[in-house]
Amino acid sequence: MATPPRMRYLARYLLTYEGMSAKSSESMESATLCVYEKLRQSLSAFAGVAAFESLAFRALTQAKSEAPSLWAVQIAADGSLHGLGEFEPQIDIDKDLAGEGGTILIDRLLGLLLIFLGEALTLSLLRLAWPGAALDDCNSENGRKV
Amino acid sequence: MSAPDKVTINKLPTGVPGLDEIVGGGLPEFSFNIIAGAPGSGKTTLAHQFVFANATPERPALYFTVLGESAIKMLRYQQQYTFFDPAKLPDSIRFINLSQVVLEKDLGAVLEEITREVEKANPAVVVVDSFRTMVRKPQSDMDLQSFIQRLALFLASWQATTFLIGEYAEDELRDNPIFTVADGLFWLRQTTERNSIVRKLQIIKLRGQASVPGLHTFRITDAGVQAFSRTFGLVGHLKDPPSHRRLSFGIPELDKMLGGGVRQGDSVLVAGSSGTGKSVLATQFIAEGIRQGEPGIVAVFEERPQAYAERAESLGLDLETPQKDGKLEILYLRPLDLSVDETMHSILDAVQKIGAKRLVIDSLAGFEMALSPGFRADFRESLYRMIFALTGIGVTILSTVEVDESFTEFPFSTYSISFLTDDIIRLRYVSIDGQLRKIMVVIKMRGGNHAKDIREYEITDKGVVILGKRLTEFQGLISGIPVRSSRIAQQEKFSGDPTIKDRT
Repeated sequence: MATPPRMRYLARYLLTYEGMSAKSSESMESATLCVYEKLRQSLSAFAGVAAFESLAFRALTQAKSEAPSLWAVQIAADGSLHGLGEFEPQIDIDKDLAGEGGTILIDRLLGLLLIFLGEALTLSLLRLAWPGAALDDCNSENGRKV
Repeated sequence: MSAPDKVTINKLPTGVPGLDEIVGGGLPEFSFNIIAGAPGSGKTTLAHQFVFANATPERPALYFTVLGESAIKMLRYQQQYTFFDPAKLPDSIRFINLSQVVLEKDLGAVLEEITREVEKANPAVVVVDSFRTMVRKPQSDMDLQSFIQRLALFLASWQATTFLIGEYAEDELRDNPIFTVADGLFWLRQTTERNSIVRKLQIIKLRGQASVPGLHTFRITDAGVQAFSRTFGLVGHLKDPPSHRRLSFGIPELDKMLGGGVRQGDSVLVAGSSGTGKSVLATQFIAEGIRQGEPGIVAVFEERPQAYAERAESLGLDLETPQKDGKLEILYLRPLDLSVDETMHSILDAVQKIGAKRLVIDSLAGFEMALSPGFRADFRESLYRMIFALTGIGVTILSTVEVDESFTEFPFSTYSISFLTDDIIRLRYVSIDGQLRKIMVVIKMRGGNHAKDIREYEITDKGVVILGKRLTEFQGLISGIPVRSSRIAQQEKFSGDPTIKDRT
């Protein structure tokens, strides 16, 4: 099930935001981990570790069908993410596309929040995790509200 | 302590329509409250309404969820209510999940976690939903009563108004030490009566102020919990002094029978069998009021407002124009599971909206049938409260009631509700000269003298028209099968004319 384009746009924005606010040399994987971890902290405090873990597991299952680079990724009982950046030896994955798996995972996670909570509450939760990010601006594409 | 030295307890809006009145004007600030009830009784929704009504960015609300429903699922449903304002999250309302602490640690750790969050946020409102789930877990260092006591003490010191939500069954109310700690105890009940659900709310305890005792009906709608006070929102309204003003029916002969009309603020019962013109009389009463500048409400249960207005039109009475002008409202009240209190709420809203002076309830039988079976047992008691409350603010009520026509008895009403009314007008059929005619008599007028006459009437295209003078030529009219009096029979014998001479 595809998530709305604005969620993927939002996912990219958060990954870019973390990449920029951290060290620019950091890889896409570490940006993904950073975004994921903030979501985990925020959502676990809000809904509980178990609720976040089950949501993340669902998002990962969806993302894996779209991104082979997530082959080795797993969600631990506390909801933390493991195995990002590890590739299946048999599969020849374009390193440029590998980072796209992280975007898809975050996109799917945000998509589930959107389905369960709606846009207003999802953005409220994201604001809590990223108080400095201009999420309202990024909730538009090409200057147009989406 | 003299009056000026007393501490003033601020009252916070509950955010639940009707509940402020029930709790005595609002919830005491800094109070420690328990909302108890079975699953699905509306506890969480009630707490949310309070939170959304009171949380601000400066003094936010902390909503702690424990085990059970996750905040994601809870908010998915709660946001469907109209009171839910997503803009209040996260600055004014913050949800914090304590399930991990509860599962891995003990109540002491839960208290520590709550303490830490409260110190950080300085909240005005704290909710723990549901604290009962913590009881079911085997405890170690701290028992639940001690936890509740320390939590209550801490949150009161931090000037927070608190709600603990718990699933409790009726029989757990007695001798439960946890309830002794609470300043307020709200009990929500949900019972099934045949095919209907009846929801009732009781304020079992509320320190510092007088709440309205008893069980109050409530409903959960798109707007959340809505409570209907047993006092119908009329607490604080001064009862109008008895009025000597008489209200006309627009039927001069009937007004004369009533000693000049119905006394303002009276409850009038028009009783009669089917087709005797009860609704016609009621329509004339309301139409005359409008003609005299007195707005009116008609509560109908057996036909649609449009049909009611059309029938009035056939009598030459225009009910369409006053409806458009805001002088008349015809309420059709026929949802499932209706309670008297909800009906009353609708009527009161309409009374206040248009400043109604006259109210017609057409009919009490229809009203009773529209109620949930569970409320029917309380019909007379509820009706008493409703009539008392409305007449107290000067509204004159005319209710119609259908009675089984008997040719051996003359019952006022099958509901035994005549004690609820100040005035009773009885309509009935009589058999005279091979015709089924109609007679009318004023049985009772609490506010003064009335005619004792039994009058014949007809229903014409002008409504109820009273014919001639009192029927002196018959005896036993109220039995329905009168006999010509011996004096008249003697006269007829001599004149050879069996018709009634003085009919006009």
